Formats: sequence, structure tokens, C-alpha cells
Amino acid sequence: MQQIQRYGYILFIAVMAILPNLLNSRWQAVAITFLIFTIVALSQDIVLGKCGMFNMGQALFFGMGAYATAILNSTYGWPILATIPVAILVPALFGVLLAGPIVHLRGDYLLVTTIGFNIVFVQVVQNNLGGITGGPNGIFGLDSLSLFGTTFLSQLSVYYFAFAILLATLWIMHNLDASRAGRALHYLREDQLAAESIGINSRFYKIFAFALSAGIAGMAGTVYATQYSAVSPEGFNFIQSVLFFSIVIVGGSSVPGILIGVFVMFVLPEIFREFATWRFFIFGFAMILAMVLRPRGIWPARFGRIPKFLIKESNHGT
Amino acid sequence: MARNELILNGVTKRFGGLTAVDDLTLKVEEGQIYGVIGPNGAGKTTVFNCITGIYKSEEGSINWRGKEIRGMTPYQIVRRGIVRTFQTIRLFSEMSVAENIMSGRHIKSRQRWWHGIVHTPASRRDERENWKRVEQQLDFFNLSEFAATPTNSLPYGIQRRVEMARAMAVEPTLLILDEPAAGLNDKETLELLQTIFRIREQGVTVLLIEHDMDMVMEATDYLTVLNFGKKIAEGTPDEIQEHPDVIEAYLGSEHDDDE
Ligand SMILES: Nc1ncnc2c1ncn2[C@@H]1O[C@H](COP(=O)(O)OP(=O)(O)OP(=O)(O)O)[C@@H](O)[C@H]1O
Ligand SMILES: [Mg+2]
Repeated sequence: MQQIQRYGYILFIAVMAILPNLLNSRWQAVAITFLIFTIVALSQDIVLGKCGMFNMGQALFFGMGAYATAILNSTYGWPILATIPVAILVPALFGVLLAGPIVHLRGDYLLVTTIGFNIVFVQVVQNNLGGITGGPNGIFGLDSLSLFGTTFLSQLSVYYFAFAILLATLWIMHNLDASRAGRALHYLREDQLAAESIGINSRFYKIFAFALSAGIAGMAGTVYATQYSAVSPEGFNFIQSVLFFSIVIVGGSSVPGILIGVFVMFVLPEIFREFATWRFFIFGFAMILAMVLRPRGIWPARFGRIPKFLIKESNHGT
Repeated sequence: MARNELILNGVTKRFGGLTAVDDLTLKVEEGQIYGVIGPNGAGKTTVFNCITGIYKSEEGSINWRGKEIRGMTPYQIVRRGIVRTFQTIRLFSEMSVAENIMSGRHIKSRQRWWHGIVHTPASRRDERENWKRVEQQLDFFNLSEFAATPTNSLPYGIQRRVEMARAMAVEPTLLILDEPAAGLNDKETLELLQTIFRIREQGVTVLLIEHDMDMVMEATDYLTVLNFGKKIAEGTPDEIQEHPDVIEAYLGSEHDDDE
């Protein structure tokens, strides 16, 4: 199984590296959207899938990163790439500040609170608070990517930028799974009382999950702002958060599950554009059906990543 | 350095009108296997919950190695060397046996939160060393063959062993077991007894609740008997067996071994 998974990853990365060269410009744009939303969905998985916290405000952190890039670029003239650290740190910091007072809440209360945060965020940027968010129209006319004085105008370069950020995200997720902090999140989701009774500071690790997740979503925000050369409030609506939430639940808390989820939610609708009015109707039903048939997601998370030397002969596992 | 002693003084815990633990005083000395017994609903689990920080007692003091621990959170108490198991087994049920035991290494691991994002040579070494410790616990509790098995697919007796292995992975000074023999058959109970003795040999003090009278008399050095939250007797197993109040409490109440 682990073998298959490893080859799967290599194949996926190879295909995604070649893919944009085979696509026309419209489909390249779709592919970039796929990459961006995959990054956000993976970040959502840290809080929702791994740690089991019902966060329905992920678009807030996504938007915060996008706005950080847009403001720094359009108002202060920073190159796009130079805005990345800020687009990570600002959402991560807000992740800590917002999660602090709410992580002890029970699932349903936490969910409502995070929706509230998301709505407040959209209102704030819509009302042009501080005169820097551009109001309902947002901010447009951002620069293209540039590095060492060379400017990359093509859509292809935006694709590879998005792809690089996705690879970085996958690498972080991989590291997380084989670390003390990553396991702590799993333990908390499975049984918080047992986790605390074994010495895990639940508050600390829940806030950590929020901050890490927010930072990654913020990074995706930079790519989003680059793709459209613009940001506007409706892109970070709470409806977007609902979609990210659904992707993790429907896909299952695993990388393949999330890839399938994003594909179904964002790419299939593009393929079936002709059925514009019907598509969400169909996807709504597809979601319901998936949950009824596979309550733990299409591709559920698998546990048991333990070192090989622990697996003895006559093993009852796998 | 203070001795590894646990001293409860006048501990009282109320739930609304019910006084679940009533002015309890007891002292667990280093190296003992200390038993707490009593009929159903006597308040035994509640005492353990007060010691491990899950509940905060309204009155009294709980002193561990010369420091007051009443009012601390569970994870702060674990860091001081007190670890427990639960009467109703609480494992991370979808995770493998090895991962469950690895959770016990959490406080011993030197990794910091940022190692969850970027590994370093030191964090990799730490990771490997802790998995080695897990391997030792797997051996000690004879669980090696189940290392990769999710715990929810294991029989009850093995789950109890996993929970103890997880607690022992913390390298505790005081191990608290809430009815470790509940649901075990005679053979498993006998093995459990041997395991408890081997744990004591490692220098760990053991505090346990038990319903199985034979096992309590066999295992413990010293006992406290609770009834309706109050201590009705304390002493060595021999003394307790002769104690009229204890005989009264056990014969007078309908006592059920399976709880
Ligand atoms: N969280 C709680 N809220 C209210 N009452 C509680 C709570 N926990 C325990 N009690 C009550 O406190 C009393 C003591 O319960 P406890 O679980 O400590 O008994 P016990 O001696 O462990 O019994 P058993 O042998 O059945 O495990 C019981 O009457 C129980 O109903
Ligand atoms: Mg009990």
C-alpha cells in the first residue's frame, strides 16, 4: 500500500510538471485554480482532518494572504515574491489571535464562530477599512512575477509558481506526519481527554494547527492574487469556506482524497460548463451520495505510518 | 529532593448535592503497590480523577513529592511523573498499537513545534530514539506482533495491555491504574499481576483500583477501603480482610465483579 502510494505521488508530480505544456490558455487557468484550491484544501485538512476542529472560515486566511500580497504590491510596490513571507506570517498571526479564545469550544460552537470571523473579514475588506483594501471592487492591476530583474509574463510561469507552492505544502504535510507535533494533532482528534492524560497540551497544539493552516492558506492567497492580478472580497466569501470544508469531509483526510475532492468541485464544473445551471445541483447530490456511501470520505485517512523495524513477522496488521 | 510520596489530605469532591469523595486522607509511599477498593459508586474513580487533574477537588490538598498539585491541569501533572489508565479504556482507537504507545513519548521527546514543519538532523534522531523506546514497550508488554494493528480491532485484554504500555512509555514515577483487571479472564489477570510486579521492579510506584478481591489481596502492599466517598478502613491486605466494616460494606452491598 505504501509502495503504491509512493509511486502514485511520483506519477502525480510528473504529470503535473508536464501538464500545462499540453493545455491551451483556458485550461491552463483551470489547472492553476486546481493547484491553488488544492493548497487551501490541504491547509484546511490540518485543522479539520488531522486535528478534528470544525473550522468553517478557511477562506478568511486565504483572503488575508491574497490581500497582503495585493496591498504590498499595489500600494508599496513590493515585488510579488517578496510579499510571500508577509502573506504567510500575517494570516498565521491572526490564526493564533483568533484561535486563542475559541479552541476550547465544542465542535458546533467553533464552527459558528469561525463562520462569524469569515463574515467579519469580508465586511471589513468590502468597507475599505483603513482605505487600503479597495472596497467592493478590491484591488487590481498587480505586477507580474519577477525575479532578479526578469519579469515572467506568461501564464505558464504562474502555473509553475503555484506548482512550487503546492510541492512545498506537500513537503510540510509529509514532515508534519512524522513529527511529535503532527501526531499530537491526531491524538487530540481521536480522544482529547486521553491525549491530555498522556501529557499533551491541547490548547497549544490546537492553536499551532490553526496557525500552520492559516500560513499555508495565506501562501495560496499570494498565488491567487498573482493569477488574477487582482483580489476582491467575494473570492473569500464564507461560501468558499464551505467548499473547502466539504472537500476535506467528502474527500477524506488524505492527500489523494483531497485531490479528488478539489477535482470534483472545481475542475469537473469547468468540463461540464454547458450544463451550467445543473452542475451545482448534480454536485450537491454527488456530495450527499458520497457521504452516505462512504461516511469517512472517498479516500479516508490511513493510519499506521510506523517505522519498518517495528513490523514483525506474523503481523496481524495491514 | 523530596521523596516520591503522594499525600492526600482532607480531599472532598462534590457533584451538586452528592459528595462523591468525602474528606479523604491517604498516603502512598515510594515503591508501594497501593490499592483502593470499595463497592460500586464508592468514589474510587473520582479520587483518581482529582489526583490526575481531570477534576478539581473543592477542598483538601493533594501533595506530590512535596508540591501541591491540586488545581493543575492533567498535562502538567503528567510532566511531574504521574500517569494513569482509564476504567473504560481510552485508546486512540483508529491508530495502530505502536502509534498509541508513541503518544506516551510525547513529553520525553525533545522535538519542538517547528519540527512539525521542517525536520532537522536532531529531530530525526529524536524521532528514531523514541520509536526505539516504543519497541522496548512493545517487547515488555508482549505486543510486538500487533505493532501495526489499529487498536479498535483488538480484543479487550490486549487493549488493556496497550493502555498500560502507553502509560509506561511516559516513564512515570507513579502509575495509576483504574480497574486494570476489569474484563480480563483468569489467565490474563494472572499475567497482569506479573506485569504489575515487573513494573514495580523498575522503581515505579503503583496505585490501583480493583474489584477483584483475590487480585487485590495478592498484589497490594497496602489498601484503603472507600464506601460512599468515605474511608472506612486502611491497612495491609491481611488487616483489611479481618476488618468488620469492610466485611459489612462488601456483604451489605450487591457487589458486581463485571463493572
Ligand atoms: N462527572 C460526574 N458528575 C456527577 N456525578 C458523578 C460524576 N462522576 C462520578 N459521579 C458520581 O460520583 C459517585 C462516585 O463515582 P465513581 O465513578 O468515583 O465511583 P467508583 O467507586 O469508581 O465506582 P465503580 O466501581 O462503579 O467504578 C457516583 O455516585 C457517581 O454517580
Ligand atoms: Mg470507577
